[in-house]
Amino acid sequence: MNYLRRASPLHATRAGVGAAYCAAMVLAALVIPNPLVLGVLALALLAAGAGARAGGRVARSLYLSVPMAVLIVLVNALVSREGLTVIARLGDAGPLGQLDITLEAVAYGAREALVLIVIIAACALASAAVDPDELLRSLRRVSFRSALTATIATRMVPLLALDARRIGEAQRCRPNPGGRLAVMRAITANALDRSLDVAATLEVRGYGSARRPARAHRPWSRHDLAFAGSALAIAVLALALRTPFSFYPSIHGSFGVRTWVLAAALAFAALAPFTQRRGIMR
Amino acid sequence: MATLALAGCGLGAGSTPTHVSLLVSQGFGAQTVVSAGAPKIVGADTVMRMLERNAKVGTLDSGGFVQSINGLAGGGGNDWFYYVNGVQAPKGAAETKLHDGDHVWWDRHDWSATLSIPAVVGSFPEPFVDGFAGRRYPLRIECTQTGSKSCAAVEQVFAGYNLVASLGCVLCSQYNLSLRVLVGPYSTLTADPAADQLTRGPGASGVYARFTRNGATLELLDQSGRVVRSAGAGAGLVAATRFMGQPPVWLVTGTDAAGVAAAVQAFNADTLDGHFALAAIAGAAIPLPDQEP
Repeated sequence: MNYLRRASPLHATRAGVGAAYCAAMVLAALVIPNPLVLGVLALALLAAGAGARAGGRVARSLYLSVPMAVLIVLVNALVSREGLTVIARLGDAGPLGQLDITLEAVAYGAREALVLIVIIAACALASAAVDPDELLRSLRRVSFRSALTATIATRMVPLLALDARRIGEAQRCRPNPGGRLAVMRAITANALDRSLDVAATLEVRGYGSARRPARAHRPWSRHDLAFAGSALAIAVLALALRTPFSFYPSIHGSFGVRTWVLAAALAFAALAPFTQRRGIMR
Repeated sequence: MATLALAGCGLGAGSTPTHVSLLVSQGFGAQTVVSAGAPKIVGADTVMRMLERNAKVGTLDSGGFVQSINGLAGGGGNDWFYYVNGVQAPKGAAETKLHDGDHVWWDRHDWSATLSIPAVVGSFPEPFVDGFAGRRYPLRIECTQTGSKSCAAVEQVFAGYNLVASLGCVLCSQYNLSLRVLVGPYSTLTADPAADQLTRGPGASGVYARFTRNGATLELLDQSGRVVRSAGAGAGLVAATRFMGQPPVWLVTGTDAAGVAAAVQAFNADTLDGHFALAAIAGAAIPLPDQEP
């Protein structure tokens, strides 16, 4: 729950379309095996973050994703027995047999790591630029209770974080401050109390008998159309133009014209909606 | 650093083993898929990596398990197994390092009768020349009658490969870390626990043939373990098995002396090549498992 309304085309678009735009990026990362295209996609995401005035948020997601990516590369290099180009021999590891590090296993791990980086960056962008309340509101017609529950649950997260900080500070003022477990216990008890209060309030206000709300008509803005077109273009390009790329037993793939065209087209599709700057403050 | 180097650690591909050969077949060696006397090897390859360099391989389990070779997929009771110098490897192919002189044999076969065929004869003169798992073993020929023609003929075959064998009677040695070759009528070999497995079929011995308890009849089995034919006097068998993790024990045996002589006739690299085991009946060498007539 770190959404802040900013003056950017992505913030100006409706939440459903913004979420679809980020989901299209994730889809592209999952279906495209070529590391060059994935790299371009990652750069496009960083640029999109800057275009949405959330560049810092997207870049900070690297603090989470890069260590995980390094771990993926390391584990795959050690665990995978595939690949023909041995770059290091770690000798006989008893029951595990001969442990060899191959270039292909490292490259495949790096590709998987790149996918993870793109996915986490896309989620960070969505978290920073897609209004979660609006997104959940749009789900009310699909399932009212689920949307309400999700809204309340997501609202609770920053509240609990605030509780933790407040209780932690109060605890540090005591002569014998307790451990983190004591803070956790207090927060859990608070969360249960709050959930009971919320449930009682909802019942009193008659939320249980609520009906499916009427469709709220909202005309599509130029930003809605631009980002919807961008999401569709990213998905179609990724699915239709992806080129085969295999890592095992040896690396085979194209870095030719078609790959560069796909990379350029994806970057263009991802960034083009940000050129439209009119009407970005609602 | 020296310890690491001795343990096989280092950068790069490592040193390439020499005189390695590769055979890929299906149906217990009946059909050859790939045969390479000098397969492509780069550095200290594993068995799996050598296979991938010389055939189109599909793998499962992060490259630890062979699913298909040259489009021939395993599954449905028919899977890929491999033998190095005629010995079923105890580890996966991706964990098994190649050594000088290794004869690697992949075979796709029906495992409904037994999952484990601990040793095969089709890589002869391996494992006698280069050993297995990177280690050479002493050779001992154990004959029912040490002065018999059959015993001498077997010794001659090994002499042809510059192999010196110690000769002795069955179960006369307490040392069980040699490659043993038992020569004699089967009824005289049953005191040896490895040989005794041949009365219990492929589930115990890994050999698709079995002798009756008195050794007078040799039953040849098909890949499902069903008896295809039986032979009495004059039937010979060349087979290999293992007992309790000891080195392989080869048997050059028969229902009687004539059967042993027939088996000795078949005991050469040309006749044994590419077969799991071999029966010698009425002058014909019959690869095992036997086929329906």
